[in-house]
Amino acid sequence: MVENARSINIAASILLIIGIVYIVGPLYLTLSTASQSYEYMLRNGLAWVPGGELFANMGKVINDTRIPIQMLNSMIVAFSNALATCALSFLSAYAIVYFRIRWAGVVFALILATIMLPLDIRVITTYQVASNIFSPLNAVLDVTGLNDLIANAFGAPVHLELSVLNTHFGLIAPLVAHGTGTFLFRQFFLTLPKDLFKAARMDGAGPIRFLFDILLPLARTSVASLFVLTFLSGWTQYLWPLVGASTPDMQTAVVGLARLVPDADGQVPDFPMIMAGAVLVSLVPLSMIALLQRFLVQGLVLSEK
Amino acid sequence: MTAIDTAIRAAAADIELIGVTKAYDAKTVVIPQLDVALRPGEFTVVLGPSGCGKSTLLQMIAGLERVSGGKILIGGREVQNLEPKHRGCAMVFQNYALYPHMTVAENMAYSLKVAGVSKAERAERVATVAKMLGLADFLARKPGQLSGGQRQRVAIGRAIIREPGVLLFDEPLSNLDAQLRHDMRVELADLHRRIGATSVFVTHDQVEAMTLADRILILNKGHIEQFDTPKAIYHHPASIFVAKFIGSPPMNILAVTGDGSALRLADGQVVANFAGKGSFQLGIRPEDITVKAGGPIKAQIRYREDLGSHEILEADIAGQPLRIATPFGAEIDPTSTLSLSFSQARLHLFDNGTSRAISNAFDQTKSAPASVKEYQ
Repeated sequence: MVENARSINIAASILLIIGIVYIVGPLYLTLSTASQSYEYMLRNGLAWVPGGELFANMGKVINDTRIPIQMLNSMIVAFSNALATCALSFLSAYAIVYFRIRWAGVVFALILATIMLPLDIRVITTYQVASNIFSPLNAVLDVTGLNDLIANAFGAPVHLELSVLNTHFGLIAPLVAHGTGTFLFRQFFLTLPKDLFKAARMDGAGPIRFLFDILLPLARTSVASLFVLTFLSGWTQYLWPLVGASTPDMQTAVVGLARLVPDADGQVPDFPMIMAGAVLVSLVPLSMIALLQRFLVQGLVLSEK
Repeated sequence: MTAIDTAIRAAAADIELIGVTKAYDAKTVVIPQLDVALRPGEFTVVLGPSGCGKSTLLQMIAGLERVSGGKILIGGREVQNLEPKHRGCAMVFQNYALYPHMTVAENMAYSLKVAGVSKAERAERVATVAKMLGLADFLARKPGQLSGGQRQRVAIGRAIIREPGVLLFDEPLSNLDAQLRHDMRVELADLHRRIGATSVFVTHDQVEAMTLADRILILNKGHIEQFDTPKAIYHHPASIFVAKFIGSPPMNILAVTGDGSALRLADGQVVANFAGKGSFQLGIRPEDITVKAGGPIKAQIRYREDLGSHEILEADIAGQPLRIATPFGAEIDPTSTLSLSFSQARLHLFDNGTSRAISNAFDQTKSAPASVKEYQ
């Protein structure tokens, strides 16, 4: 709906300006505080006036904290998460759309159900599984009574243990299992002409060739947008990296930022340095958004011509 | 023959279907039983209403659908368990199914690329086919930048570039407008003459069937109603289904009773001399009825359509609808009763129960239609 009334225009503009101030204000505060010295902050509180200490503070972050290694962790987690999510979603959507599978509808519904059960809800059980990835198997063996049989036959029940806590794999894997990408690709595949698959078969291309020669090139914008979205969400994850990684060298940058606030009471945190860290950590997703904005928008629209 | 004529020339293979069946489950039987043999180089049009199993038949020949039973032989080789690429078939799809991200040249060369043909040879073959189809100027374009007719040509080029022994067409002209459809029909006929591949063309358009086919296979609910030349199908339909399906407007079918000397309509009018007794269905094409003063058969006119070249009269005869095609300019009084004369040599008689044609029903001097013989 497009309204032309002048009063509505003015109201809309005011609302927009309030929104911009609301969003840009804290960003400005971050930037200006990051450019002041610790002493200035102790005297004046958070700074509204920019100073000249931005690079000094950033140098402090790089030299005195573990933020650089934690940014590397973030990079590994976000990149692997995006890559694995794209591959898994693409393949599962391919299977659901192009192959006659029994219960394909049920499988798709189950995949979609993961959207309703985000990691934040499952964090305790996920932690349990991550602390021993064989625990579901052990539980099944116990419940079905198979372990009693095994104990009778071999003298001891089976109990397998492997913890992936505090590893990159452990940080990435729980993030990957998510239905959004599968849904996105399924919707995209359904917009393609049905005979494409048949035409490729007539041309002698098997399922794998069709996947790489036809489907992947056609879906490249969808893949790119899903990659960008998943990368950003992987980079900004807080709860799971906080729980899943225990040593500073394994934590991600966002968790590391929060840890820069000292635990001891009475000490005033070095907010300029923390803010400089925040700016530093934001640079990666920020530049990504700036460069790949096109894919982000397309990913949100979920369609392509 | 020019160089182009000989450049793409397929070794045509014959196709034989022996006891082919297709059922998705016990309830949905698409093709109960099909036996048919297509000669090498022949252009067969498979014609039928939607849901008659014609596309399924085509896809089973192509290998895109599995057969539930029976054998398919292409060039004498059993292929029903082979992958499509090993059957020597190529297919043109209804909605073109071109690869949108590839150029025209890449689209046509894709099957050769998959088959491992060298780049130089690919380029050469693409150039030959493009020249043949008038696509030489569009090789670098993407399908999205082409018109419907050009896209269809690319789809045909993609099919013939491998010089397949069998060419399959799945309603390829149904997405085109009337003028383009006519032009493509002419081009396809010409192409078939030059390439010589055994062609199977699925359509529900009787004009395409009549103009393109060497023989037409008419399918109804997975059964063959008739398999014969367009002429034989038009002039000697083997069943009421065929009679009504071919011809525009379709053949009139009237319920008649034989009393031992003549066939009578429900109101007692005699329409033909006939020695037999019992109930029959009489078929007569609209163009085989003439309106003339003193004609022995009377009908009430209900509606007239002037089509320029001729007129279609819709009349009512003994409570049944009757269509009559009259030449342009015929004097007809729309308010009066029509006096009609049925061309006696062009009557068709069908069995009331089986709906199949009764051969030699009227004229003892005329030989029985070949098609009817074949099916009895």
